[in-house]
Amino acid sequence: MNRMQTTYAVSLRKWFRVYGTLFAGILIILCFSLLSPDSFATVDNVINISRQISFLVIISLGATLVMAVGEFDLSIGAMASLGGVVAAKLAVAGQPMWLCILIPLVVSVVIGYINGWIITKFKVLSFITTLGMGTVLGGITFWLTDGATIFENIPDSFRYLGQKMWFTVPILSFIMLFLTIVFWYIMSHTAFGRKLYAIGGNESASRNAGVAVAQNKNLAFAFCALLAALAGILMASRLGSAQPTSGDGLFLPAYAAAFLGMTSFKEGVPNIWGTFVGAAIIGILANGLTMLEVPSFLQDVVTGCIVIVAVILQKIGRDAS
Amino acid sequence: MKKILSIVIALSLILTLTACGSKKDTKKIAILTPYLSSVTTNQMVNLLKKESKANGWDANVVDTKGDVGQLANRMEDVIATNVDAIVLVSTDPNQVKAQIQAAKEKNIPVFGCDSAYIDGMAMNATSDNTAMSKMITEHLFQQLGNKPINLVVLTYRPHPGVLKRTLELDKLRKQNPNVKKVIEQQVNVPGPIENSRKQMENLLLANKEDGSITAVWAGWDEPAIGATQAIQAAGRKGIIVTGIDGNSQAVDLIKKGSPLVATVKQNFTGMAELVTKQIEQVLQGKAVTEKEQYAPATLITKENAGK
Repeated sequence: MNRMQTTYAVSLRKWFRVYGTLFAGILIILCFSLLSPDSFATVDNVINISRQISFLVIISLGATLVMAVGEFDLSIGAMASLGGVVAAKLAVAGQPMWLCILIPLVVSVVIGYINGWIITKFKVLSFITTLGMGTVLGGITFWLTDGATIFENIPDSFRYLGQKMWFTVPILSFIMLFLTIVFWYIMSHTAFGRKLYAIGGNESASRNAGVAVAQNKNLAFAFCALLAALAGILMASRLGSAQPTSGDGLFLPAYAAAFLGMTSFKEGVPNIWGTFVGAAIIGILANGLTMLEVPSFLQDVVTGCIVIVAVILQKIGRDAS
Repeated sequence: MKKILSIVIALSLILTLTACGSKKDTKKIAILTPYLSSVTTNQMVNLLKKESKANGWDANVVDTKGDVGQLANRMEDVIATNVDAIVLVSTDPNQVKAQIQAAKEKNIPVFGCDSAYIDGMAMNATSDNTAMSKMITEHLFQQLGNKPINLVVLTYRPHPGVLKRTLELDKLRKQNPNVKKVIEQQVNVPGPIENSRKQMENLLLANKEDGSITAVWAGWDEPAIGATQAIQAAGRKGIIVTGIDGNSQAVDLIKKGSPLVATVKQNFTGMAELVTKQIEQVLQGKAVTEKEQYAPATLITKENAGK
C-alpha cells in the first residue's frame, strides 16, 4: 500500500512537472471566465486572443530555437521593427505584396546568419553580439523612416494578412498555428532539430560526435531573425502602419514565453508547444486583466511574478529530475 | 504541488485585485495611452480620471509603455467588454485604425486627447501643434537676432504631435538662412530627460568651441530639461534652449534664468475638459460639437513664468 502511495505521489508530481504550466493556464482561463463571463468567455474573445498572441507566438518560436542551442538573440525586437518598416516602405512604393514580404524576410535571414556567424566564428557572447546588432538595426530603422510612423499610402492589400479572416478566424491565427506545427515538427522530428538540442545540451560532445555546431547555430539564428521579421511584417499589416519601435515591446515577452514554456512538456528544455503555452498565458493574462479593469501597473506585477515563479519552478524541477 | 501553490497565489492576487471591481450601471470609460510615463500625458490622464469621477463614470486607465502593438490588443479587449467610450491619449490613431473601426461597428465612441482625428473617431481635442511650434521657433530665432544659429534639434518623430512640431521647425528653418542644423537627435521614450541629457553632454564635448552650438530646439519639455541640465553642468554659455508643453519643471527652470528660455504652455486642462464635455454630450445621445477642437496655448518666458 505504501509503495503504491509512493508510486502514485511520484507520478502525480511528475505529471505536474510536465503539465503543471498548462494546467495553470487552464485555471487562469477558468478564473477569468468566472469573473468576466460576458466578455472573456466568448467565442469572439477566443478569436481576439488568438489574434493578439499571434505575433508573440511567432517571435517566441525563434527565441526558442536559439535558446535550444544555449544562446540568446537580443536583436529580435529591432529585427521585428525593421521587418515591418521595410515591408511597409515597399508597399508604399507600390511593390507587389509577395515582394514586400519576401525582401524583408531575405534580409532578416542574412542578418540572423551574420549574428550566428559572428558568435560562432569569434566565439563571442551572443548577448553582446545580438545587443549590438539590435542597436544597429534600430539605427537603420530610424534612418529608413526618419523616425516617423509609415501609414500614408499603404495599400489595402498590405493589410490583408493582418486584418482579414478566413472562416471567421483571423488569418494571423492560422499563420501562428501553421508555424507552430512546422517548427514543432522541425524541432522534434528532424535531424536538424535533434542537432540543435544536442548542441544546447552539450556543445563539445556534439562537436566530438561530428555535429556541425557552427553551421547549425548559424541556421538557428537565421530562423530566429526570420520569425522576428515575419512577426514585425504581420504586426505592420495588422496595424496598417509601421512604427520604428513597434517590435521593441515583443522582445521581453518573447523570452518570458520561452522560459514559461520550459516548464511545460519537456521540463527545463526550450520546446515549441511549451513556448506556445507560455505566450498564450502571457496573452490571456493581459487580455483578462484588462477586461477586469486591473490597472496596467498591477498587470505587469502579476505577469512578472508568474514568469519569475515559473522560472524558479523550472530550475527546481530540473534539479530534482 | 508547488506549481499549484503558485497558481493559487496568482489567482488569489487576481481575485483580490478585482474584488474592488466596478459597479454596475455606471458608464465605463477606457483611457488608453502608450505614454503614461510622460509628465504631460500623465497630467492629462489624471485630469480625465478626475473629470470622469466628477461625472460619475468609471474610468479605467491602460498604459502600454510605448508599445503600439499592445495598445491595439488592449483596445480590442476594452471593445470586447463593451465600454461606453474610449479615450486615446497622446496616441497616433493611424496606428489603431482597425480597432477604431471595430469600436465604431460596436457603437463605442472613440475620443482623442492630444492625439489626432481620423475617420471613425468621435473627436479629438489637442493643441495646435503647428501653431505652437511656429510660436516657439519664431521666438527662438528672434532671441538670437541676426547671429548665426547653430541649432541642435532634440525630437521624437514617431509621436504625432511632436512630428507636426518638428515639421514646422523644418519649414521655418529652411526659410531662415541664418540657421544651420548641427544635428537632429531622436530622444528615447521612456526616459527622455536622462537620454537627452546624455546626448547633449556628448554634443557639447564634440562641439567645444564657443558658438559651435548656439541653440537647442526640443520637441517637448523633457528633452529641453535634459539639454539644459547638460549645458549647466558643462558650464557652457551662449546656448539657449526652448521646449514645448509648459510642464512645471520647465517653467521653474525658465523662472530661474537657466539656458531654458521659453516654452509654450499647452492647455492640458482645457483639452481634458473639452474631451470630457464631448463625452458627456455623446453619452446623452447628442452629436459632438466639432471633430477637431483646439485648446489655446501660451508662450512662457522669464517675464511671465510662474505667474
